[in-house]
Amino acid sequence: MNKILMGVLMSALVFASCKKEEVTPDDPTTSSTPVPLVEVSSMTNASNQTVTLYSESSDLTTGYTNFYVTVIDSLGNSVESANVEYAPLMTMTSMSHACPIEQPTFDAALGKYKGALVFIMSSMGGDWTLDVSVDGVAVQFPLVVAESDTRVVGNYTGTDGMTYFVSVLRPTNWVVGMNDWEVLIHKRASMMSFPADNDFTIEMVPEMVSMGHGSPNNISPVSIGNGHYNGDVNFTMTGDWRMHMTLSKVGTEIHSDAYLDIVF
Amino acid sequence: MKQVNLLVTLVLSIGSFYAISQDDSTHIENCVLAEEVIIRGTIRKSNGQSVEKVNDVQLSVDKILGTTCGVSLIKRGNYAQEPTVRGLNAGQINTTIDGMQMFGACTDRMDPISSYVEPNNLNSIGLNLGPNDEQFGSSIGGGFNFKLLKPTMNAEKFISGSIGTGYETNGNAFRGLALIQLSKKKWALQANSIYRKSENYIAGNNREIHFSQFEKWNLGVSGVVQITQNNTLSIDYLQDNGSNIGYPALTMDVSFADAKIASVSHHYKNRDRFFYELETKAYINFIDHAMDDTKRPSELVPMHMDMPGTSQTIGFYSNASFRVAKKHFIKVKLNGYVNDLHAEMTMYPDFGAEMFMLTIPDARRMLVGIDASDKYYFNSKLNIVYGLRCDFSRSSIITLTGRQTLTSIYNGELTKVNFLTNGFAQANYKLAKNTKATIGVAKAARNATLQETYGFYLFNRLDNYDYLGNPEILSENSWNLNLGAEYSGSKMGLSVQLFGYFFTNYIAGTKQIDYSAMTIDASGVKHYVNLDNASIIGTEIKLSCTIQKNLLFTSVNSISYGVDDENIALPLIPPFKSINSLKYNWKKIRFAMSYTTGTKQNHVDFEKYGETSSNEFNVLDASIGRSFDFKTSTLILHLTAENIFDAAYSEHLDFMSINRQGRNFIVNLTYNFN
Repeated sequence: MNKILMGVLMSALVFASCKKEEVTPDDPTTSSTPVPLVEVSSMTNASNQTVTLYSESSDLTTGYTNFYVTVIDSLGNSVESANVEYAPLMTMTSMSHACPIEQPTFDAALGKYKGALVFIMSSMGGDWTLDVSVDGVAVQFPLVVAESDTRVVGNYTGTDGMTYFVSVLRPTNWVVGMNDWEVLIHKRASMMSFPADNDFTIEMVPEMVSMGHGSPNNISPVSIGNGHYNGDVNFTMTGDWRMHMTLSKVGTEIHSDAYLDIVF
Repeated sequence: MKQVNLLVTLVLSIGSFYAISQDDSTHIENCVLAEEVIIRGTIRKSNGQSVEKVNDVQLSVDKILGTTCGVSLIKRGNYAQEPTVRGLNAGQINTTIDGMQMFGACTDRMDPISSYVEPNNLNSIGLNLGPNDEQFGSSIGGGFNFKLLKPTMNAEKFISGSIGTGYETNGNAFRGLALIQLSKKKWALQANSIYRKSENYIAGNNREIHFSQFEKWNLGVSGVVQITQNNTLSIDYLQDNGSNIGYPALTMDVSFADAKIASVSHHYKNRDRFFYELETKAYINFIDHAMDDTKRPSELVPMHMDMPGTSQTIGFYSNASFRVAKKHFIKVKLNGYVNDLHAEMTMYPDFGAEMFMLTIPDARRMLVGIDASDKYYFNSKLNIVYGLRCDFSRSSIITLTGRQTLTSIYNGELTKVNFLTNGFAQANYKLAKNTKATIGVAKAARNATLQETYGFYLFNRLDNYDYLGNPEILSENSWNLNLGAEYSGSKMGLSVQLFGYFFTNYIAGTKQIDYSAMTIDASGVKHYVNLDNASIIGTEIKLSCTIQKNLLFTSVNSISYGVDDENIALPLIPPFKSINSLKYNWKKIRFAMSYTTGTKQNHVDFEKYGETSSNEFNVLDASIGRSFDFKTSTLILHLTAENIFDAAYSEHLDFMSINRQGRNFIVNLTYNFN
């Protein structure tokens, strides 16, 4: 009899101890796999090199957009040490302009040149083209850019009379909780020149637009160079978040009501 | 006294209780801080005699607990009221069903465990008033154990059972119930079921309380088989499905609250042996709960939302009892469980994206506890019982989404390991033939609840704040002191209890000034912290008098008083309440009249705890019952008039001071057969 009793007791213990393994279900937000690239187009330039342009989505939208390039010479070899440059142009009926550019550099891990553009308007206003030059020899890719669903880039005229473009670094992978995030600020020096501006102080306040509340423990982005500002934003839930930003330069408020919208 | 069939008897230690009985109890009982409310069935006293009692199984658990000394109910609606003990609530008390740990799934505490059992399921309700040798887990203030009804082997008849129906005019409430037992020499089966439905009830002054409806059905099945003379195996299954439950004091209702509870147990008993009893149970329970705002008028719902939650507990316990000497008993208990809580919220704005968040972000607690108690009868006058309990628990967040969610408020280690020790000692001394005194001291401790540890913007309607959990919260501790004196004479019984709970690391919410509330119209955000100290003191006085043969008067009185470290009134502390009843038996007719009064509670604090004062109340109830005996069956007819004078009143723990039921006429008909 005692054996039976011990058996019952032991099985109860085993039963209890069996449950100690924690189950961590797969979660899409953990995936560190690189974003799959989509070929935009491929062209042969005057140097008989095949220049192929890639993006992270077949649907280009306004805002910060990474572009990748491979250069293959006539022998089929990858050219990895060329001087590759982007020159975007928006041609409108009365005028034309460029947009903020992050010139590409070769990314050995990807085997591609990687750079970025910040589309400041969609193709509704005219035609976007991107000249990709390899050691000064260019090919031109026509691009169709749709308006982003949310405000991921905004232009603000500051108290100093200058126009600034504020955009959010993409791609993004927002989760409920604390998120690392980066915004970029570019100044419009001319219609063809949009240099990065590292001199801002940003004070950021997120707002859940549908409900009017904010979130605690945010860290306003600070400059890390190249026009990038890095900070932490706390999303306590999914939904429509508006990132209110006050932009200042050496103590002078440049713009008090800049904002970007994030939806996830 | 021996010939009277409705009398005060059965004096259990420090907390006495009153039940129908055939005999007078003179021996010293288990000296535990425990009471037992017998619902239906038999309890065996240590002198070997049995006391049988059939309470009115048509009553709700809420009504039974509401008239139990020391218990006050937090009322959010006409359903699932949350029992508190002497001003202690939620994580401070431990609620179990047949020793099975179970945790409500609702983030607004709409589903206390007591809402998932029905008197029809129960043999009795055990009420523990602090750490003692009846406990099933660590707590500050003891708690409840709902003891399920077991089928009886070797009963007189193979088939027995009962059916019943009841109707209440107030709320147009209907119920129907049935119970059947099959009994053979070596096995028995029992099944019981109840269905309840109520529309909105009417408070005093003819005011309808909207969203106070409910509907539920409940099914209990159990079987027991005798393997050998001293060994039995049993299985129990309980399912409770509530639907369309209104909570007038809250901003949302409940579309469904479903619980499934299953267990298998082994019981060994041999009274002649040193190792005389071993009970082992393995169990699982699951609660699926969903809040609902779709029935509310749209102008009162700023935004539609879904708030489902689940709770699953898998566990076991094993209780061993030893008789060291004739008057010396040792109990050793081992228990463990794993509880998983998940609660989420999705809000649907008129414009814009859906909003989703985890409000209990997939929290898990694993706990293993062991306790031992030693009871020793020095002589016929003095006995002592003392014991020690140790709990080891590990709390964690088991999904990545959950862990990410909590980065919003906390960036440290979320997994928490905690070790608790509880100790108690109690002495009963018989001063004279009918008089005894009790002193009890306990060092109590409890884990912070998973809500207090990991809750994420849980709205509390009482103070209108959103609450954040605090993963660094420490265990709450208290020193409990109980002093009791009891006289039980042939014509009169009197029991006076004084109690005090002296806390350290009392868990309460404090305002987070810079945080913005998530809930629309909430006043702000609080998070849980440990207050240095707090205390609750109080007294319970019970009196019973046999005025003349067949006429019994009982009076149950209680009051609690609580302050925190800044001498500010603690919330949810019941003021003075007195329940006085007269019972008279004439042949087979039973008359009863009950007068309940409560004083106003002005010892409240709005600024810190959001609580407002409450008014006094007076309520008069009366009932008449008649049983008709047939050859092998009994028909019991019960007529009750509640709140005869239609008082418009609420008690202090009633959320938003929503008035309770006005005048109500109840007719219950129960047919027992065997």
